[in-house]
Amino acid sequence: MKVIAVIPAYNEKETIVKVIKEVKPLVDKIIVVDDGSTDDTYRLAEEQEVKVLRHLVNRGQGAALQTGNQGALAAGADVIVHFDADGQFLASEIADLVKPIKEKEAEAVFGSRFLEKKSEIPWFKKKIILPLARMVNKIFINQELTDPQSGFRALSREAAEKIEIVNDKMAHNTEIQYKVFKSGFKIKEVPMTVIYRGFGQRFKGGVEIIKDLLLAKLMD
Amino acid sequence: MLQRILALVIIVFFLSRLFWQKKNKQIGVNEFVFWLIFWLLTGVLIICLKWIDRLVASLGFSGSGIEILLYLGIAVLFYLIFRLRLRLGKMERDITKIVRAVALKNPAADESAADDSVKSRREMEL
Repeated sequence: MKVIAVIPAYNEKETIVKVIKEVKPLVDKIIVVDDGSTDDTYRLAEEQEVKVLRHLVNRGQGAALQTGNQGALAAGADVIVHFDADGQFLASEIADLVKPIKEKEAEAVFGSRFLEKKSEIPWFKKKIILPLARMVNKIFINQELTDPQSGFRALSREAAEKIEIVNDKMAHNTEIQYKVFKSGFKIKEVPMTVIYRGFGQRFKGGVEIIKDLLLAKLMD
Repeated sequence: MLQRILALVIIVFFLSRLFWQKKNKQIGVNEFVFWLIFWLLTGVLIICLKWIDRLVASLGFSGSGIEILLYLGIAVLFYLIFRLRLRLGKMERDITKIVRAVALKNPAADESAADDSVKSRREMEL
């Protein structure tokens, strides 16, 4: 099975090389989607001899992931892993995400910060933002995964072909989960570790996500 | 009375601008018709203000006709902003489709074009 990691990157010159070096031995191919970075991210990624797709202007993480999915499908991926470029995920956990798909246990696997492994999640995020996000997911998609905003996931080829991410910004997490449920794909959550370098998604970002979800609902 | 005359003068001014723009082909037929109906309707409502006052009173509202017109105007503005928002959202999606097509067509993308884009963004930021 061909496993391709899609790494969306926007102004990640500090971490992109380290992330690529860590992920490269664990997958068959890497596709970095440089989302219109204004720093050296594109050049640094290219120097690592991985495929780099470049957005001419910044379109958001959701848009970059969809571009990466299409690139990975065209490159013959059987499993697509979404991996952040900021170095918050552990590359060693990619195998945990890919395994259920390889063993036909699931078609979509989501990493969760709330299962056995313990991530040091900032208090406000753990107690306020993520419960609110869980509630939003419950309202919008009527499903409750333990980690509603996890960006670490793996999709089978069939799932990636079926799911088109139309939310360009951060609402893509909810959108992907919704579409996976709606399409009836088998889902599994596996424990993951997140190393927080900053706060990550802030409350304002959460409000933006709800706004984008509402707008997307009205546009569809 | 003076206020109504002033309002009508303003409407006549906008109507003359509208015809001037149409004559110079600065606006399309659809837009011209929309604004023509809008300003004519506004003019008619101002002329019929007394009648609207009576209508509003008979419907049980305590405010005057002009107040109701203002409320309606605000509601229409909100609706137009909402429509604009949806249109913008669709444009954003279209831009993403173009950006994606370029990225996938040429994996290395057109570096010079991207550099131009970065440059122009930096100039805008300055």
